[in-house]
Amino acid sequence: MPLNLKSFQDQFQRAILEGDDAILNDIPDGPRETKTNLLGIYRDAYVLRLIGVIGNDHELLRLYLGEDRFRAMARAYIASCPSQHPNARWFAHRLPQFLKSSEPYARRPDVGELATLERALNDAFDGADAPILSMADLAAFPPESWAQLFFVCHPTAACIDGYTNVGAIWIALKAGEEAPPCTLSEEATRILVWRHDKTSKFRELSAEEAMMWLETAKGARFGDLCELLATYDDPASAPVRAAGYLKGWLDAGLLSEVVPAA
Amino acid sequence: MSARVNHRTATKSASDAAPAAVSEGRRPPYLGFGLGLRPKHYQDILEGNPQVDWFEVISENYMVRGGQPLAILDRIVERYPVVMHGVSLSIASTAPFNEDYLDGLNALAKRVRPKWISDHLCWTGVHGVNLHDLLPFPYTRDALDHVVSRVHYVQERIGRPLCLENVSTYVQFGQTEMPEWEFISELSKRTGCWLLFDVNNVYVSAFNHGYDALAFLNGIPADRVIQFHLAGHSDMTNYIVDTHDHPVRDEVWTLYEAALRRFGPVSTMIERDDHIPPLADVLVELDHARSLAGKVLGPKNSSPAVEPPAAA
Repeated sequence: MPLNLKSFQDQFQRAILEGDDAILNDIPDGPRETKTNLLGIYRDAYVLRLIGVIGNDHELLRLYLGEDRFRAMARAYIASCPSQHPNARWFAHRLPQFLKSSEPYARRPDVGELATLERALNDAFDGADAPILSMADLAAFPPESWAQLFFVCHPTAACIDGYTNVGAIWIALKAGEEAPPCTLSEEATRILVWRHDKTSKFRELSAEEAMMWLETAKGARFGDLCELLATYDDPASAPVRAAGYLKGWLDAGLLSEVVPAA
Repeated sequence: MSARVNHRTATKSASDAAPAAVSEGRRPPYLGFGLGLRPKHYQDILEGNPQVDWFEVISENYMVRGGQPLAILDRIVERYPVVMHGVSLSIASTAPFNEDYLDGLNALAKRVRPKWISDHLCWTGVHGVNLHDLLPFPYTRDALDHVVSRVHYVQERIGRPLCLENVSTYVQFGQTEMPEWEFISELSKRTGCWLLFDVNNVYVSAFNHGYDALAFLNGIPADRVIQFHLAGHSDMTNYIVDTHDHPVRDEVWTLYEAALRRFGPVSTMIERDDHIPPLADVLVELDHARSLAGKVLGPKNSSPAVEPPAAA
């Protein structure tokens, strides 16, 4: 009884994903090669291609783990998280979560955090386009109106948390140097990732700047941001500190729009 | 061809009602000699002025929200004719179409204004899984009816005839009822889709399955072929793997000459997917294609300004 196309595809996919050999009943040997080896071309190509996809998205994780451990990790991810997206660009999207929740990788927070940072940089690279707000745009507003201004963050900007020295590890690996030993902190480090001039960037934020950034992203007015900073440190210099962070964000292309209060 | 393959002729079915608006589209223009656009070559292309008549872009690479990929693509589109080539349409799958993917394809086409949109005659997965491979299936009459209805659907969705490429295959199936070229011919006749003849893929499949590549070449309708792919492969002695990561091999160049004789001037490109060499190396291969076309067709007939004959 020949398989209908649906049953055939079910069986072929099981042959690739689960190693099921039932489809071999419908495959003749080739003129020079056995059907098992010929089917093996598809099985091998499936894994190798996806290892390549993961390696392309996570070239520093590959360096950090070393080739053998990277390939073992990639095979585990491929087996655990088959692609659900037509675009291979998003195949490795679940890798950070996989590494943070699967043994033995969950015991290595540096590994999961490096994957998270690389993924955030990849996402920023081809994230949505938006205007870049400049200091000149802001100068159009009189200083007395600033307290009422809202800022729209660039859509590629994302803040990720880390408890390791992942930033230093990334920088060393990118420079072709040996990564420093992993260190752990009890307080989360906030890393801001974004795109500027077609290039993905990141930098660690101080606790105060991180607080201001997260409130800005939620839509707080500049006046509220200054008050927030006043509760965190020296109240007298809070407006100056807030203006300093704001200037840094403008210079870095982190803001897209300024909106006066209605 | 394997002895177990039955060469029965496919019959027409009730699903043949091709919407005239998309199935009777005018033959797209002859573009000359192009390349697959690859990120490694972006800078050389934009800063130099390479002798490339057109570019093929991998649709999925630009189905993103923004950033450098789309910015570069916009600049390429300003300077060159572009065609879109996808890998995830999964036209032969029994799973429902991914409508978000089709929406993304349409959005990209609106941006790129491609001369045509192509993908592969294959399936890529079922049950919500994408295997990211161009998978084979048995060439049965039932499969033909199924793919015909899917091509009609896609052509309605994208508002133009689709162009479909033959893939390299490593296995055949006992239940296959017709050779691949007969399946492709019937599919094209019944849907009005165009054909992308991948010369290397024909060579690879012919070797792997033990049939004559010329039987394939002579078995598909000449007037439907609008594009050639030229690529390299990896010879594993007992079989050939379509890696698209080597220069075009002599035997593929020979088959290309035969394809030129049968199909006439057809937009030709070098497709390199891995181990991407410097642009200058690929241009040497493209020049070779150009000179072979000039030799077979005469210089006048291989110029992009010349429209190919309507039918062979």
